[in-house]
Amino acid sequence: MTLFNVGRLCVKIAGRDAGNKCVVVEQLDNHYVVVDGATRRKKVNVKHLEPLAETIKIKEKAAHSEVKAIFEKLGFNVWDKKSKTPGARPKKQKVKREKLVKEKKAEKPKVVKKEKVKEEKNAEASNVEENKE
Amino acid sequence: MPSGMYKSGRLRKIFVKTPGGRTTIHYRERKPGKAICGNCKKQLSGLPRERPAKIASIPKSARRPERPYGGVLCSACTRSLLRSKARKEESQ
Repeated sequence: MTLFNVGRLCVKIAGRDAGNKCVVVEQLDNHYVVVDGATRRKKVNVKHLEPLAETIKIKEKAAHSEVKAIFEKLGFNVWDKKSKTPGARPKKQKVKREKLVKEKKAEKPKVVKKEKVKEEKNAEASNVEENKE
Repeated sequence: MPSGMYKSGRLRKIFVKTPGGRTTIHYRERKPGKAICGNCKKQLSGLPRERPAKIASIPKSARRPERPYGGVLCSACTRSLLRSKARKEESQ
């Protein structure tokens, strides 16, 4: 005979939910129970619970909504899942930027490479020589 | 001969082998002591042993256990404290 029968109010004393009140919803065996209430609905070891004197009348395997209703009546906190869909964010309005028109640079006179100039001169010179002959 | 501040033992020594084959001494600041339980003085587990500046860069969930009194009391002391609190509430 254990104290952790369905409907037993307990305080969780280990883990993330430690210090929160919960109620036994289902008895799995002598060591494990399912709890719900101000804690997350979880299978827990009996070693992690401190039983209280009070019991609540609830069905076995009662849904979270039923436990929530009873807990709110008694004035206890209730753990609730955060909604998965986050609220719509205000959309950022794109500010259109005016494109800057680049001013064309004044074209520089092309610099002819010196070698090319030399070659041209040489060619001219050879032409002149040919003409002389 | 090292200068005065390196002789006091405030900094820990690290022996570094250089590529040339010499062994030089580098100095680093010492790490703080291990965190202990506020009740039973046992060493707490799950806490980083780093300088405050480095701890600030670690995510908060990695800095201490997530349960109430995490990083202050050990798990056994937390259980006994919460148990006694629950019983006290019952008796009132």
